[in-house]
Amino acid sequence: MVHFLLTRSLLGSLVHWVAAIKASVHAKLLAGYFLVTLLVIGMGAMSLQTIAKMSSQSQLLDEAHERVHWSQEIQHALAMQMNFTAMALLLRSEATVENILRENNRFNNTLARLETAAQPEEVELIQRIRAAQGEALTTVADIANLIRDGKVEDAMRLQQNKQYPLYRRIEAFVTQLVERERNKMDRLRASVAAANRNTLILMAISAVTLMLVALLLGFVISWSFILPVQKAHGFLSEVAKGNFAATINVPNRDEFGALAAHMNHMGQELHRLYESQHQAAQELQRLNEQLQQASKAKSNFLANMSHELRTPMNAILGFVEMMLDEIYGDVPVHLREPLTDVQTNGKHLLRLINDVLDLSKIEAGRMELVLTEYSVQDVVEIVRTSLQSLALEKGLEFIAASEDDIPLALGDGKRITQCLMNLVGNALKFSKHGRVAVWVEQQGENLLYRVSDTGIGIPKEELENIFGEFQQVDTAITREFSGTGLGLNITKKFVEMHGGRIWVESELGKGSTFFFAIPLRMNHVEVT
Amino acid sequence: MSGKTILYVEDNEFNMKMVRQLLVRTTYRLIEATDGELGVATALKEVPDLILMDIQLPKMSGLEATRRLRADPKTAAIPIVVITSFALSGDDQKAKDAGATAYMAKPYSPRELLQTIRTLLPEQ
Repeated sequence: MVHFLLTRSLLGSLVHWVAAIKASVHAKLLAGYFLVTLLVIGMGAMSLQTIAKMSSQSQLLDEAHERVHWSQEIQHALAMQMNFTAMALLLRSEATVENILRENNRFNNTLARLETAAQPEEVELIQRIRAAQGEALTTVADIANLIRDGKVEDAMRLQQNKQYPLYRRIEAFVTQLVERERNKMDRLRASVAAANRNTLILMAISAVTLMLVALLLGFVISWSFILPVQKAHGFLSEVAKGNFAATINVPNRDEFGALAAHMNHMGQELHRLYESQHQAAQELQRLNEQLQQASKAKSNFLANMSHELRTPMNAILGFVEMMLDEIYGDVPVHLREPLTDVQTNGKHLLRLINDVLDLSKIEAGRMELVLTEYSVQDVVEIVRTSLQSLALEKGLEFIAASEDDIPLALGDGKRITQCLMNLVGNALKFSKHGRVAVWVEQQGENLLYRVSDTGIGIPKEELENIFGEFQQVDTAITREFSGTGLGLNITKKFVEMHGGRIWVESELGKGSTFFFAIPLRMNHVEVT
Repeated sequence: MSGKTILYVEDNEFNMKMVRQLLVRTTYRLIEATDGELGVATALKEVPDLILMDIQLPKMSGLEATRRLRADPKTAAIPIVVITSFALSGDDQKAKDAGATAYMAKPYSPRELLQTIRTLLPEQ
């Protein structure tokens, strides 16, 4: 309904016009109320005027009524005159003539009153009456004289022939006058009634008009404020939805207009911020893609290096082994030792290459765990069989075992084997006598691996650094015990990739115990 | 020359020479190919009794070559030993998926390689 009025009728353009007036909301409201107040005052004044007019008309009506009364009094005085004349004749006494004179005076006085404020044609009628009355009075005097003289017969004749017709004439005139006054009164009464009716209609129309004007003003002014508020609401909803390109457009040149301008400014500012933020995000994404590409290139490089380094190592170690296996014929005794040295150092170089490549992959974040189910007992067994000969060579007692009832574990079994191999390898390497023991047990959701030795032990101040890169306690030891110095670091990283932790307890000269704990079943989500 | 035929696909001449010398004292006959495409062509032409396939080769990778030979009925049944770069990085699984009968990680011991060959393809 309101929408229809605002879009399809003149009201819409009126609302628009009011909105576009360059004045404050306060001034517009004040003007509206002032206009309505003015109209109410106007209507009040009109009512007062009507009341005054009506009272003056009733006065006129009173006057007309009085005149009718007066004309009737004249009629009455006339009748009395005739009556007294007849009495004088009957009683043959002139005394009653006094009464006739009194009635004549009443007649004349009333006539004079009627003559003031009389219309011209009335004045003419009154003058005729007065003339006739004068004549009648003369006749009365004659009759009185005749009676006094005793000539009653003559007096009767005079009364019969002259005075009576004269009075009849006067009566006709007076009746005419009475009729006239009565008509005047009726006309006046009718016109007053009509005027009153018209006034009532006029007042009703004014009241309705006033109401309509007040309603119109209320509608136009309120909608000139409501529309911008509605538009602001729409604009803010758009902005809230993330449409920063939205604008608000209102015709208002008041506080609402200023508000809309501020909102547009805010929208532009937000849009600009959004754009710059978007650009920054794109730039970041581009950089991220570049980084990913670089990382992929590094990863590919590592994979290639891995192959490129191993291929010649394969030939070196292969040829030496074949020589020592006497594929090429007998090997002289004095050559056997240097050939074995080549083999030992080749294998050491290979371990270094493997460790460095592993570490590079871990650092590049390209090392991925291959999650499978594996048996902890198998891991322990592989380590035991691989290193048993080394323990035997060094004359060390070597025990490797695990709890019997450990269920299948989930994780990268090969990497865990590698970790255990590193720890046991170190233990064997750093122990000259005594024993190396491996024990694995389940502790709730975790697996605890323990490798203890009776080796040289680790000084307290080195305990924290022991898992860093190239950290062997000192270079002399490195020379004596060989090793890449990367094993513990790689082991720590693989354990952490499994979501576990590694630590060591040690007493210098008595031995060390390495522990690592990892979840029995690794959650896939933890793989990074 | 009634020995069984082994095809070795390898681009490194020293590794090739090593295997050649390893097999000198055996009855196996060695044929050689230096890239993946040549390896497939030679295998289809000669139909050897066993194939040693390096994983990283010019022109066509050892895995792709293995897949192609498995797809061809002439060579589908020949045992293929894929020689991977590093057993721990998942290459062994890739080799199995491609259809390898066995795999060996580089660097391999010639002694162990010969053992594997003899297991898969006994000498007479």
